[in-house]
Amino acid sequence: MATRDSLIQVTDLKKYYNKGAIKALDGVTVDINKGDVMVVIGPSGSGKSTFLRSLNLLEEPTGGSIVFDGVDITKKKVKNAEGKMVKLDIDQHRQKMGMVFQHFNLFPHMTILDNMTLAPIQVKHVDKAAAEEKALALLDRVGLKDRAGAYPIQLSGGQKQRVAIVRALAMEPEVMLFDEPTSALDPEMVGEVLDVMKGLAQEGMTMVVVTHEMGFAREVGNRVLFMADGKLLEQGSPEDIFGNPQHPRLQDFLSKVL
Amino acid sequence: MDHFIQLENFSKIAPYAQLFWQGLLVTVLLSLFTVVIGFVLALILALMRMSNVRPFRALGLDKDGHQKEEGFLLALSKFNPLSFLATAYVEILRSTPVLVQVMIIYFGVFGIIQLPSFQLFGFIKFNRFFPGVVALGMNSGAYLCEIIRSGLQSVDGGQTEAARSLGLTQKQNLRFIILPQAVKNILPAIANEFVVIIKESAITYTIGVQDIMSAVNAVKGATFIIIEPLLVATAIYFCLCFPTSKVIAYFERRMSRGDKR
Repeated sequence: MATRDSLIQVTDLKKYYNKGAIKALDGVTVDINKGDVMVVIGPSGSGKSTFLRSLNLLEEPTGGSIVFDGVDITKKKVKNAEGKMVKLDIDQHRQKMGMVFQHFNLFPHMTILDNMTLAPIQVKHVDKAAAEEKALALLDRVGLKDRAGAYPIQLSGGQKQRVAIVRALAMEPEVMLFDEPTSALDPEMVGEVLDVMKGLAQEGMTMVVVTHEMGFAREVGNRVLFMADGKLLEQGSPEDIFGNPQHPRLQDFLSKVL
Repeated sequence: MDHFIQLENFSKIAPYAQLFWQGLLVTVLLSLFTVVIGFVLALILALMRMSNVRPFRALGLDKDGHQKEEGFLLALSKFNPLSFLATAYVEILRSTPVLVQVMIIYFGVFGIIQLPSFQLFGFIKFNRFFPGVVALGMNSGAYLCEIIRSGLQSVDGGQTEAARSLGLTQKQNLRFIILPQAVKNILPAIANEFVVIIKESAITYTIGVQDIMSAVNAVKGATFIIIEPLLVATAIYFCLCFPTSKVIAYFERRMSRGDKR
């Protein structure tokens, strides 16, 4: 494979609670490259979600750095183009990171179309007609164009999650973060959501996916991270991780889930 | 033996109907002004409580610009004077009797500030009515503040996370995501507070506001009849509050319709 541009460099990322008594993240270092489909697996409580949520600062890390597009977003103040220290505008960076949640988090008081056009119109100042046209095209792609005028409560779980994915895509992010996107779904709806994600991966979208779907990790991921107790214990290609696990914790974990 | 209620007593107090009518108007006006003052005050207090004004913020950063992990300076950096003041106000007002507050406002504050003594609409003594409105407004402001704050906080945290992850600022999140959802939760509680205010306003008769209770007192003084005027007052309060809460319940049902498929 050709060398890839690094997009996010995470160095020694730490997240402590209760003054260090609980270490949700205990020094995670990893590079995320453009076009990576990085799947994070591990037992519950291992820090997978905290890691993902730290990437767009929904969790404020206790230590370490996250360099995204050349800017350390864990700093409160950063140097601007003229070398002056200015307050970091985290909203600007979050626009470039789409996030999909376990519980969808669609806005219940808005139609599907409004859910999708709110951020492009308010944040990117796209005009309404263009935003709606784009939103409808995206909805069409996931087979939900005819539900544009519906409210979230009228949709099934799988439909909601597909909307949540395209809502994030409407902002044209550089990377998509998935926080257990299928864990709250009925089993028969998992497939439709994974299919959408598979399609995204094939288009070359950079993705970080926290999931319990080992089939997805093996089939779609190009890198797999195994986390336990807030530490990154093993990483490698899906073939290595699933075919030739080294760390005893990983071997133990795989014996339970496979 | 005397009966508890004597029907002929009602005809004896009939000449004082005008007093009850004026008392009813005073009670309604008092409640309306109180709600308006209380609501404006509550909005300001709620915004103060949820504001993010931290004058010592910089003390919590280390020299690399990272947030410090612990220590006195970190605690100081999180101190928000606006929120502190608003919280203190709410807690004090909620932890003391409204009767005491009314007395302090009337004898204390408006004992120093002289109000002009004229009569609104020809029968409302302004220098009694105004302190009553101020005291009740200050009191209900504290309660309404808590209603508004809990309404805003009742919106699922995932909504804020989703909004912020899309790049919306804190303000945009409040305006487009949180407020529209919170209002639906808040409105019934605010309307209920209105009913509470109607009933609580009776306490202002202790500072000479001529509301329904003061009409009762006047009739008692003139005729030595007590139970029957009280029953009239009961009926008036009931006729004010019961329909109001029924109307509220109706709107509550209508609003929850949107939650169903």
